[in-house]
Amino acid sequence: MSILKLDKVCYRYADAASNDYVFKNISYEFELNKTYAIKGKSGSGKTTLLSLISGLEKCVEGNIYFEDKNLKDMDLDKYRSKNIGIVFQSFNLLTHLTALENVILSMDISKTYKKEKKEKAYELLESVGIDKEKANRRVLKLSGGEQQRVAIARSLSYNPKIILADEPTGNLDKETENDILNIFKKLAKEDNKCIIIVTHSDNVAKNVDNVFELTKKGQ
Amino acid sequence: MYILKNAYLAIIRNKGRNILIGIIIVIIACACSVTLAIRSSAKNLISSYEDKYDIQATLEVSRENLMKDFNPSSENKEQGRKNMVEQFNNIESLTIENIENYSNSDYLKGYYYTNSINVNSSTLTKATSEITNTEDNRKRPDNMQMPDNISQADFTLTGYSSYDAMNDFITGSYTVSEGSISNDFSANNCVINSELATLNNIKVGDTITMTNPDDESKTYNLVVTGIFTQNSTDIEDRMDMFSKSANTIITNANFINNIVKNDSSVNYNITPTFLIKDKDSIEKFEAELKEKGLSEYLALRTNLDEVEGATSSISNLSTFATTFLIVTFSIGAVILFVINMINVRERKYEIGVLRTIGMKKGALTIQFIIELLIITIIGLLIGSLIGALISVPTANMLLKNEIESSQANIQNVNKNFGGKMFDGNEQGRPDMQNRNGINGIVNVEQIDSIKAVVDYKVLLKLFGIGVLLTLISSIASMISIQRFSPLTILKERS
Repeated sequence: MSILKLDKVCYRYADAASNDYVFKNISYEFELNKTYAIKGKSGSGKTTLLSLISGLEKCVEGNIYFEDKNLKDMDLDKYRSKNIGIVFQSFNLLTHLTALENVILSMDISKTYKKEKKEKAYELLESVGIDKEKANRRVLKLSGGEQQRVAIARSLSYNPKIILADEPTGNLDKETENDILNIFKKLAKEDNKCIIIVTHSDNVAKNVDNVFELTKKGQ
Repeated sequence: MYILKNAYLAIIRNKGRNILIGIIIVIIACACSVTLAIRSSAKNLISSYEDKYDIQATLEVSRENLMKDFNPSSENKEQGRKNMVEQFNNIESLTIENIENYSNSDYLKGYYYTNSINVNSSTLTKATSEITNTEDNRKRPDNMQMPDNISQADFTLTGYSSYDAMNDFITGSYTVSEGSISNDFSANNCVINSELATLNNIKVGDTITMTNPDDESKTYNLVVTGIFTQNSTDIEDRMDMFSKSANTIITNANFINNIVKNDSSVNYNITPTFLIKDKDSIEKFEAELKEKGLSEYLALRTNLDEVEGATSSISNLSTFATTFLIVTFSIGAVILFVINMINVRERKYEIGVLRTIGMKKGALTIQFIIELLIITIIGLLIGSLIGALISVPTANMLLKNEIESSQANIQNVNKNFGGKMFDGNEQGRPDMQNRNGINGIVNVEQIDSIKAVVDYKVLLKLFGIGVLLTLISSIASMISIQRFSPLTILKERS
């Protein structure tokens, strides 16, 4: 059974001509316990599709369903803070906070945990390879790979069903890329998550269960 | 709760930016604090002046009402004039009962009065340039002639109900040169003019005997406690041998009231002075007097113009301070608004991240307002502390002349009364128990207390200004947070 369903989704920029779509009539279903890669050339709308799925943008035509509920009818802030974890290529962590504080803040916003947040945050960071000493460092004092691990830990902090990752390994070396991929695979298989990764990397595409390729101006 | 924690972390982890905002708030708070302190001082001064210069009112003949029916072009002009005089003569004299009735009013904070009777003496020689001439009304104009029902006499016995009523001594027209004015306002004490004392070889401690002009068997004994000198002269007596007050014997009003009570045939004059609570009470008190039966030919006359004139310069200072406060506030608001706008633009990325991970726009706006509020409160505390240090010498510099003149004034008045004014004895002031100082004279301590200019009221106002400034300058962040698209922000960042 699909957790996320795209139904004839179309998107064009607000200032574009009425027939100038980034993509048109995309239909697809994503399931739990699986990893997906969205591939495509630059400008094909990979990141835009991710934004639509995460509720950061709204589709022009068509619908997106999360657990059979149309995103158009949902509180998107709440949807993002409870059901969708987002990991960016540029990490997008709050640089004035420590790794631990970034994770706890995310928990606070989602209101998932009321007690033992600190212990849970340490646990999450530990699970992605960040020890206590590093967890208490400001994120700018961590390497790129470590920052991405913190971003993954943050996205897991409220136990979402779907993890969206936009070029998560784009800034990382091959070895770190594999480490991150292993974390995602483990999350899908052991924690029953749906992992959707936007990527250019063939290595990433080879390591996921399904590849969804976007072509220019269409599916 | 997490909003507060996040706001706190954002403040302490971005010290440079927040210190800059803090410095600007400190400067604004400092300027506002000084201005508010000056306003407060000016207000206190005005209130002090209002105590110093009571709104006094007395009753006088309403010539306007007397003449309103008189038509000079009428054929019956002479009859009209006679009617007018008749109306004047029919005005009933005020009595102590009238005064007590009128003064029983919520619109007054006190009253005092002066009464007088004519007396003779078989032992004293009247002070006049023509020793044999007993008629002292030679120079009076027609309208000043003694009424028929008042006996001609050599001396005037004038009584005052309290120190406050003794305006000639307060203003320095009269000065006690020997002895003092007794503060026992129920005893048979008196002070006499130095000229009369010299003429009759009277010393402080002597007893003088006065008589009823209509019945010389009725005598009134008075102990002389002081001798006064008249310092100023009227146009009328500049070329006279003796001053106008030479034959005036000054005692207390109770002494005269007792004479009148025991002898109803004695004619006496009574002049009340009402101390009106405030400006707004004047008309209400006047209406109340009419209700209580005051003749339509008597009117209330106040010294409101003089009182307002005395406070006008301070009012101007207060207005200037208010204008300065508005200018400071406006400039401060604009600067803070601009800085906050720059601040929000600088923190666009942070806004984008927080919005992406699901923080609501409202929560984010509240966090930004809390951050600014925390910085503002710290800035206000530091600013008001510095302001307090600056405003005290500033306000006191403005008050310096006032304090000095008040101190000099008190010393002078004390001297005029023979040094008995401020010995802590409140006797003889039954109607003035709750007042500070005497008719125009305020205690030095009262002026000194204005030194504490940055008080809780100023701090409360500053806090209000701070909250208002925070809200105004937060408009920038509120608008930006509503407008920013998190995706666009993060794309720009990438």
